[in-house]
Amino acid sequence: MTGTLISLISILIGIIAANVFGNFKKKYSFGFTGNTVIGVFGSILLIKTFGRLGFNPWSIMNNGDFDGFRLAINLVVSAIGGVLGLIIAKKVYQKFNKS
Amino acid sequence: MEDMIFYDRLQFAFTITFHYIFPQLTMGLSLMIVYFKWKYLRNKIEKYNDSAKFFMKIFAINFTMGVVTGIPMEFQFGTNWAKFSELTGGIIGQTLAMEGMFSFFLESSFLALFIFGEKLMGQKLHLLTGFLVFLGSWASGWFILATNAWMQHPVGYEILENGKFVLENFSALFSNPWLLPAFLHNQLASVVTSSFVVASIGAFYILRNKQIEHGKLFLKTGVIFGLISSILVAFPTGDWNAKNVAKHQPAAFAAMEGIFETEEAGAEIVLIGQPNMVEKKLDNKIAVPNILSFLTYQDWDKQINGMDKFEKEELPDNVPALYYSYHIMVGLGTVFMGIMALAAFLLWRKKLYNIKPLLWTIMFLVPFPYIANLTGWYTAELGRQPYLVYGLLRTSDGISPTVSSGNTLFTLLGFVALYMLLGLLFLVLVGKTINEGPKSKLH
Repeated sequence: MTGTLISLISILIGIIAANVFGNFKKKYSFGFTGNTVIGVFGSILLIKTFGRLGFNPWSIMNNGDFDGFRLAINLVVSAIGGVLGLIIAKKVYQKFNKS
Repeated sequence: MEDMIFYDRLQFAFTITFHYIFPQLTMGLSLMIVYFKWKYLRNKIEKYNDSAKFFMKIFAINFTMGVVTGIPMEFQFGTNWAKFSELTGGIIGQTLAMEGMFSFFLESSFLALFIFGEKLMGQKLHLLTGFLVFLGSWASGWFILATNAWMQHPVGYEILENGKFVLENFSALFSNPWLLPAFLHNQLASVVTSSFVVASIGAFYILRNKQIEHGKLFLKTGVIFGLISSILVAFPTGDWNAKNVAKHQPAAFAAMEGIFETEEAGAEIVLIGQPNMVEKKLDNKIAVPNILSFLTYQDWDKQINGMDKFEKEELPDNVPALYYSYHIMVGLGTVFMGIMALAAFLLWRKKLYNIKPLLWTIMFLVPFPYIANLTGWYTAELGRQPYLVYGLLRTSDGISPTVSSGNTLFTLLGFVALYMLLGLLFLVLVGKTINEGPKSKLH
């Protein structure tokens, strides 16, 4: 069941990554609210898509044996998800709002 | 074993309570967003369009929080309730999968289009995307309620020799007599919540003397939607639901109404009273004779079975919690009708915007529709006990036998900590959005 908690922590990392990235690269930022929302979806999308390669919450807990290395990969991928989400959302937003 | 059941139930109750804060707003709010956008298309007054976009931002924050807090729900079916999932997965898996595949994707895709695509799509398509977000969120409610309706009143199933439930009649899942009244009641209750949220933001702007035009529009719209929905949530949908409980779950009905002893010549309706489980009676009771029989069967003298007519094993395992949940829901619903009727009257008399005590009241009432919605769900869920699938699968037979209570308690504490963090984040985001207002620079 700790796996469920890991999935939530993973999403929080996505939120933090999106906000930090947005703060440094202003041109990709949607403000705190937008970055947070996009961070959640970016993180979930990447973890759900690629987590099956061996770093989803269940693999990390692996029948009760905690695997720190897999957790680290999970968190990094989640952070990348948050950042990628922001970049993609900005591109889509710009395409949609081209005058 | 008792410990395991207790902690599994406590954890599920905590996570689903926190989760349901969010969808109960998004379902109702999506309807109001469609209304604002439709009004804008008709009269081209910009503040209606501002309002639609402003509330879609609030919607997006709530939707996101709903997604995050929904993830543990999905996991918990496998972790804490493995036996339940194994036995009933053939049935509830259908509706839950449909909720994900049809409703969630519909809602999330068109939410993004609504937020980003106004300029590209033009106003009519923008309204259509808003409508599809509404459709997705209400379809989501439909599939979740279909799942719950099957647990409350199982239909269209067959039980195999190994104890597993399989679906025998797919359409029966959606024509379940429990489903439609529960769905309508639930959706209208979510409109009550969204009406109070919209009205309270309006009251806040008026009291702060900020964004006055939008504030007046929010208050007016919230009050009108609030009055209509708070009446419809009581009658006919609440009444219809209560009759369903009386018909299909009579033990739960007796417990939620606080009827300990059967009265031969018609049952009274209890307004106030405290269940005394030792002496099997209500303490300090205020009741009106024969009303319950009339409301339930339109017959003043019709007998309604009290808890004395049922075996202990058939009665809900926490009668006081069920009784209080139901009475809190009904009591708050009555207060909402009164407040909204008064506000609508003053709106009609063109005095509402100047009566500060009422504006303060509306603003501070905002947590109470949430409480009413949650206690409504507690009534449904506590009333179904001691069963997971009413009459067929007991709660004690649905838990995961290998997950210890210590393990569940540990993760519950983890959830509490993480949800506090999420709750704080939610308040900051919503507070920031309200503070910026509908006429922010982003618009």
